[in-house]
Parts: sequence; C-alpha cells; structure tokens
Amino acid sequence: MAIKITLDGREVECERGMTILEVCNKQGIRIPTLCYHPQVSKTGACRLCIVRVNKTMFKTACTEPVVDGMNVISCDDELIFIRKSLLNLLLLEGDHNCLYCEANGNCELQSLCHEYGIEIPPAGDIRNVRTRDVTSSEGLRREENRCILCGRCVKACAEIQMNRVWDFAGRGSHAHLTTHIQDVLGDSECVQCGQCVQLCPTGALSFQTVYGRGLEWELTKKSSICIYCGVGCKIDFSINPQGELVRADGALDGPNKGHLCVKGRFGFDFVQSPKRLKTPLVRKNGELVPTSWDEALNHVADRLKQIKTENGSDSVMAFTSAKCTNEENYLLQKFIRAVIGTNNIDHCARL
Amino acid sequence: MITAQQIKDVLETYGNARENLLVILRELENMSGMNYLDKSVLIQVAELMNLPPSAIAGFVEFYTMFRSKPRARHVIRICKSTPCHTMGAISVFDSVKQVLGIQEGEATPDGLFYLERCECLGVCSVAPAMMVNYDLHGLLTHEKIVSILSSYRNNPVADGWGSGEEIDAAQTILPRTGQTIRLLENIGKIDPERIEDYTNSGGYRGIRKALSVSPADVVSVVKDSGLRGRGGAGFPAGLKWSFVVKGDMQKYVICNADEGEPGTFKDRILMEGNPHLLLEGMMICGYATNATIGYIYVRGEYRRSIDRLQMAIEQARASGFLGRRIFGSGFDFDVFIKEGGGAYVCGEETSLINSMEGFRGYPRYKPPFPGQAGFNNNPSTVNNVETLMSVPMIMNRGALWFKEVGTVTCAGTKLFCLSGKLNRTGLVELPMGVTLREIIDVHGKGILEGKAFKFAQIGGSAGGIVGQDMMDTPLDIDTLMRQGATLGSGVILVCDETTCPVDFLLHTMSFFKHESCGQCTPCRIGCAQLEKTTMNLAKRIATVPDLTGLKTLATLMKQTSLCALGQSPIMPIETMLKYFRKDFENHCNPDYKCAACDASLSRFFTGTH
Ligand SMILES: Cc1cc2nc3c(=O)[nH]c(=O)nc-3n(C[C@H](O)[C@H](O)[C@H](O)COP(=O)(O)O)c2cc1C
Repeated sequence: MAIKITLDGREVECERGMTILEVCNKQGIRIPTLCYHPQVSKTGACRLCIVRVNKTMFKTACTEPVVDGMNVISCDDELIFIRKSLLNLLLLEGDHNCLYCEANGNCELQSLCHEYGIEIPPAGDIRNVRTRDVTSSEGLRREENRCILCGRCVKACAEIQMNRVWDFAGRGSHAHLTTHIQDVLGDSECVQCGQCVQLCPTGALSFQTVYGRGLEWELTKKSSICIYCGVGCKIDFSINPQGELVRADGALDGPNKGHLCVKGRFGFDFVQSPKRLKTPLVRKNGELVPTSWDEALNHVADRLKQIKTENGSDSVMAFTSAKCTNEENYLLQKFIRAVIGTNNIDHCARL
Repeated sequence: MITAQQIKDVLETYGNARENLLVILRELENMSGMNYLDKSVLIQVAELMNLPPSAIAGFVEFYTMFRSKPRARHVIRICKSTPCHTMGAISVFDSVKQVLGIQEGEATPDGLFYLERCECLGVCSVAPAMMVNYDLHGLLTHEKIVSILSSYRNNPVADGWGSGEEIDAAQTILPRTGQTIRLLENIGKIDPERIEDYTNSGGYRGIRKALSVSPADVVSVVKDSGLRGRGGAGFPAGLKWSFVVKGDMQKYVICNADEGEPGTFKDRILMEGNPHLLLEGMMICGYATNATIGYIYVRGEYRRSIDRLQMAIEQARASGFLGRRIFGSGFDFDVFIKEGGGAYVCGEETSLINSMEGFRGYPRYKPPFPGQAGFNNNPSTVNNVETLMSVPMIMNRGALWFKEVGTVTCAGTKLFCLSGKLNRTGLVELPMGVTLREIIDVHGKGILEGKAFKFAQIGGSAGGIVGQDMMDTPLDIDTLMRQGATLGSGVILVCDETTCPVDFLLHTMSFFKHESCGQCTPCRIGCAQLEKTTMNLAKRIATVPDLTGLKTLATLMKQTSLCALGQSPIMPIETMLKYFRKDFENHCNPDYKCAACDASLSRFFTGTH
C-alpha cells in the first residue's frame, strides 16, 4: 500500500514495509552505510545510516520502516557531526592505515572517511590487538585489526553460503570474530567460497590471489561466465597491469546474484597456465602432436564410424560434462542416441 | 575429565535444542570440577547439538560465568560494582589475595581457589560481597574472609545454599514501620517452599478472579491501575499488554529476572521470599495476552532464586495450577526457567530474548518490538519481576485501591534498594513519590558514622546522582526524568563526604565498558573511551577540555546507540559534572592529591582488564 513521507522537505510516495534506507536509495539520496548489505539481513550495528525522524529522533535508516506522514531528514549539520564522530570512533578502534592495506581504493570505510572530510586520525590508543591469520587458509587472508565488526562476513557465511563459519566472540571492546573453538581459519569448516571477503567493507578479509599482485586502481575488470558448471555464474574478473587474472568477484546481475563457489572463485589459474592445451593434439607413433581442428575432428569421426561398424553401437559411450552448457549437453546426448544409436550417455553431474 | 557419555547425558537431560545451550554449558562447567569448559568438550557439544563450533566459541566468550581454561574447584568472584566499591571492595580484594597468596586470574597451587572480580552480585545491602561458586557472602571483613575461605577447604559444595545468613530474603527487608507494605506482605511470614502457605494467605485468588472476566477486562484493569514497569523504563504495563499482537500464534510471557543493575536486589528478595506470587502474576499476564507459556529469565548467579522458583513451579503443576485448563477454566498455562550466564546487557529485553534462544546476548533493533516478534519470533510480553508481582493484588483489590498510594502518574508502591553509607541498608517498600530525605533519615537511619551526605546514586549505574538539593524531590518516574535523573530499578546508593566523585565515576564507566555487548559502534568503542578518559582523570593526567569530551562522547552514544546500555553513560556523567565539576577540575591538576583514586588505580585498575 502506498504511503507518503516527507523526505528532506519533499513529499515522496513509498510502500508500507520499506525501510527509510530503501526509500532513500530509490530517491537517489545517498545514506552512508557499513553494516548494511542488500544481500544479507539487516543488522543496524554500525549506526552510520542514522537519519533524523520527526525533527527530534535519530533512527537507523537501514532498520526503520517508513510510516505514513513520517518526516525524514537524510543529512544536516548534526547528522554530519554524528557520522563523522562514529567514523572517528572506528578509526580509533582499528589499525586503519591505507598505506599497507589490501583494500586501499576498494574500502567503504576509506570512502566514507574521504566523503566526510576526516583528515587527521583521532589521537588515542584503546584498541585491542586482534587476530592476524594470513597463512592458514589457502584462499583467504584475515587481518582483524582492520575489522569494524559490521558482521557482513558472519551473515554472508550463514545466509548465503549457509555454512556458519564466522561468528562474533568476545564482548564489548574485546569483541572480535571467530571461526572455531580453536580459532584458526584454515582449520575451520570454511569451504573458501570467498563470499565473506566479497562482502567485507574493509581490508579485514582479503584474497590470497590478489595479495601483492596489483592495487585496486591498477586492476581492470572484465565480465565473464564461469566455465565450471551449468549454473553459468557471472564473474567479474580483475586483471592486473601484467595481464594476470588476480581476483574473481561474483556479479550481482548473474544467476548467481553475486555468489561464487570455491571453483569459480579460485579455479581460474588454469586460464593462464603454461600447461594449458591450446591446440588439438593427435597421438602419432605414441606421441601427442599438435594438429588442426579439421584433422582432429576427421580423425574422431572416422574412428567412431569404424568402431560402430566393427563392434556395434553399444561399444561406444559418451560422458558429458557439467562444464558445458545445457545446449551442448543436449547435443551430445542427441548425437549419441540418433547418430551413434546407443543409450550409453552419461554426465559427470557434479562440479 | 568429562567423558563423552557424560556430555550425552547432560544433553539428554536438558534437550539438545539451541535454547538449552546455556544451561547445558553451565552444567558441564560445574561437572568439570575445575569450573571450566575444556575445548574438547565444546567441540563435542557443537557436534552433538549440530551447532557451528564458532557459535559455541562466541557464546562461551560472551557470558562471564564461562571460561575455557581450567580455574579451580571454587571460583571466588569479588563484586567491584559501585555499591561494593563504596563499602570497601578494595580491601576485600586485598584480603583475599593476601589470604590465598594469589592474584586475580590465578589459582591456588592446590587447585582449590581461583580469583576473579565481577559486577554486581545483587546483595548490595550487605556490601562488600563476594561469591564462592554460587554461595554469596556479604558484610565481609578480613576475619570473616579468613573463616569463610577456610570453611570451603573441605567443602566441595557451593551451590548457593551455603550463602551467608545476611543475604536471606526476610532479613534484607528493613523494619516495616513507616513502610507501605504490599508486595513484601508475605515475605518472612510464609514458607516460600510450601504452596499451601501461599494459598492459605490468599494466594492464587487474583488469577481466579482474572479467569472470571475476559482477557480484555484484565488488560483494562491493569491499565486503569496505572501500573508502570518496575524494571527501569517505567512503561505502562497495561498498555504494553494491549500492544501484543493478536492471533493464533504461540505467545509468551517473559519475566525479566536478570537484575543486573548495580545496587538492585529487590527481585531476588521477591523471588526467594514469595515465588508463587510471581507465578500468579505471570498467569494473569498470560491470560490477558493470550499467552500459554511463561519463561522466567533469572540471572545465573541467583541459584537460590532459581531453585525456589523451580520448586514453586513443580508444586503449582502438582496442584493443577499450572498446566492444562488451570483452575477449571479453558486456559492453559505453564512456566519454565531460563538462566543467564553473567551479562548485564541480557536484562535488555531483546538481548534477553536472544540469550533465551541460545545466542550471544546482542540486543535486536526495534521495531519489531517483543510484543510483535519476541521469543522465537513470536509475540512476547517482557515484564520485570516487581511489575508482574504487582498484578495479583491489582486483580484482587482493584485498580482504584492500587492508585490510593503513589503519585498521579506513578501509582502504587515502589521497592527501594538501600545501600552504601547508611546506618541501615536493605529493602523498603514505599509509595511512589517518597523523598530521599525520608528514605535516608527514617529508613536508613542517617549516614554511617555521622558523616555528611555527599550524593546518592538513584536508579543504578545507568541512573544519575542527586545531591543535597534534591532531598525533598518526590522520587517517582516522571519527576526524576524531568530533573535529568531516573528512578530506574529503585537503587538508592548513598555516598558520604569521603567518596571521590571521580573515583566513583571511574567505577561506573568501568562497569559499562565491561558490560557493553560490543555490537554497535558507539557503545563498543565509546564505553572503552569513556573509561579511558575517566581513568586519565583519576590518574590526574587529563585536561579540562576532556570533561567536555566526556559529555560530547556520551551524548553521541545517547543519540546513536542501538540499545539503552550505550544510551546510559550520559546520565551519570552529566549529573556528576553538575554537582562536582570542581572535583573533576581539581583532578586535572597533576599535583592534586586523591587517596581514593590512588587506591583504585594501584589495586583495581592495574594492567589490562
Ligand atoms: C542494559 C539494560 C539492562 C536492563 N536490565 C534489566 C533487568 O535486569 N531487569 C529488568 O527488569 N529490566 C531490565 N532492563 C529493562 C528492560 O529492557 C525492560 O524495559 C523491562 O524488563 C521491561 O519490564 P517492565 O516494563 O516491567 O519494567 C534493562 C535494560 C537495559 C537497557
């Protein structure tokens, strides 16, 4: 049902049940957020999205539902002061030095500090030194001193990957992340889907693949489709100045809606591997020698015909692949049934 | 070492649903003999309960009662909250360390004792206090500590029933003359372990009366009575009940018996002294809100309350007062106990619900409110013990009778928990709107040792302090709120001329730092920063602008914190600065001498904590 609210002095129409943040997003009004991520459930913990409601109240836009007649101010001097103060608190808590941070240039905290004009980091030293575990996992690096405890990784793991590896531990200013009773990422039940890294707004979690292989602004992005299975996940690859693929992010507009599995996330080293086959090979006198597609296909066709005539259709079978598209899989079974004349067709049916 | 079979047995006893996690771990920790949860035990529990190991790790680290490293047969917890501090907790700490020859966080070589400090134990009228496993001991002196500790050398049991006599419910109530006794009526008169005593003194009549009218009528009566929440926020109880979502879904009544606000011990006295009254109040609330299940969330330290309530529940079930079609009506109702594990924030109603579900006690954002989506996302009414216990008498004697005492907007009586430098400390029941002067002079019999009054902290650590000028201000919810203070849970902690305001504030801020859950940015980082600045004042290395800094930060926390915990520090800070700005400014001078701060710094706030 449509209701009306006043947003920054303008009357806007919105749906009951929407949050203030959703309405602002729709209206093109930018609200700073850190713990909020559209792919996971609401948290309301970072408090950065606080807006003014009905003149005197402060509410987090990401959790507060709009009600008819509500008056919302998305930004004013006091709100700017509040957001700045919150950012300063976060800077006080962690080790946020962009100079040696993986996320430099790709950090939501950094962008907001820039946007809100934070220049000199606040003085003081109250932070608790947290875990740095950058070697135990093959795929993931964890530098928790850059963590702002937004909880996006906890939710990414629990709600998207359904694996619940991450959780919060400790309490108060000693709060931190944990993965296990013996808190070592590499020994946890992590399947390295990398979703937590993709959702991490800072450099607390990062990928081994990109470490030392290019800064954010040196990377170019290319959209591609994962070759591992029929889902056809859309991947945004990052390529460094040397032309190497260094990082895979799930694209939001693919069927994967931003998610990837361990293969899509990390299984791209073969692309630029020197061991990769680049032309068809035919075995001649016990040796594999490069050949042309024409020769290779003719050879296969001749041999299949010969086997079929000499030993019958059922002496041939085909095993097709999850790496192929549905259409390709269809074609191969059609070929085996209609052309070869056998039902000996199977599929690896897994990744 | 705990065996796999023992773990399975415990899971069998309590059920392996996540909501039982806390009590399962508590039991396993008790069984360990060394008061700890071995990592191998935790891993097995995770597996058997089908929970992620990370969730168990995070859970254990949240609740202060748990430890994953061996402690000792007896864990000694010395209360360091403001009431005990005011009464000399530092010397208790010194004594125990001296007697046992250990420091905090250490065990005696014989594995008998392990030393910790903790926040309020809820026995503030007999401060300074400590807890040995579950046994509470108050009015501690060096000699008493020596004798208590030696009594545990050959006594492995410390289940709460070995507590000192001084914490007994009836004894905690001050002489009744001059009080308006309603809630406390039967405490000390009836045997809390005998249901007949309760029924013979008119018990379970209120619920019968409620069942004879419609639920909506019950809500109206409670609304008309003007009963407001006694847990701290003062929200009208009837109104809260009327907000509970209607429909066929399961609904719950939740009694908040977490009682963690430093200086508060009223709920413990009520539960230990008259447990059936609470059950009756919950039944009425259940009937009014169409809830058939009630939970009492009791802080884990209150062993005796838990045992008494459990006894009462079993007797009520046996008498047919709990269960199906109670009192011959069509209404089903049963009550279960949930335990806390040592976390003040779990008194916040949504943290409490998360804790009941077996999660870390992180508060939830609101809306939705518990009345819409509470325990297991079903509509739940959360009320304080004192609030719920006030309901049966309202049903029995009517809304008008209830309003006969109190002020216009705050009807009825209020329990006040007297602690600190008074000649008499304990629990009193007085009409809302009573003055501090009456409390101190009549019931507290004046300041200890004839010293001068300096200030009283009202409402607990989350409350403010009031000075001499407010001696005659009516103590009720609204008047105090207008004055920038709060009635809160009814704490009256009186401090005399010897108290240093900076030292007092340091303990208050240290409490918040310790109890912040760590979920939201302003509270997690702000509480630590407030403590640090206050500590700098105590060390006399702060500057006058830091005083403004304290206020600015606490104001930010008030504006932006997710729950009321982070919104609270502003009140103690602002009221302290209002009365004692001079003391604070003095502490900004490095040459200023302050023995109280020196003592706290050298013996309490050493190293990391
Ligand atoms: C940090 C914090 C701790 C609280 N602790 C308690 C408590 O121990 N007992 C209690 O009854 N209410 C406590 N409250 C208040 C509860 O959130 C809630 O308002 C109360 O239980 C409602 O019951 P009432 O309306 O009967 O007072 C606490 C609130 C906060 C923010």
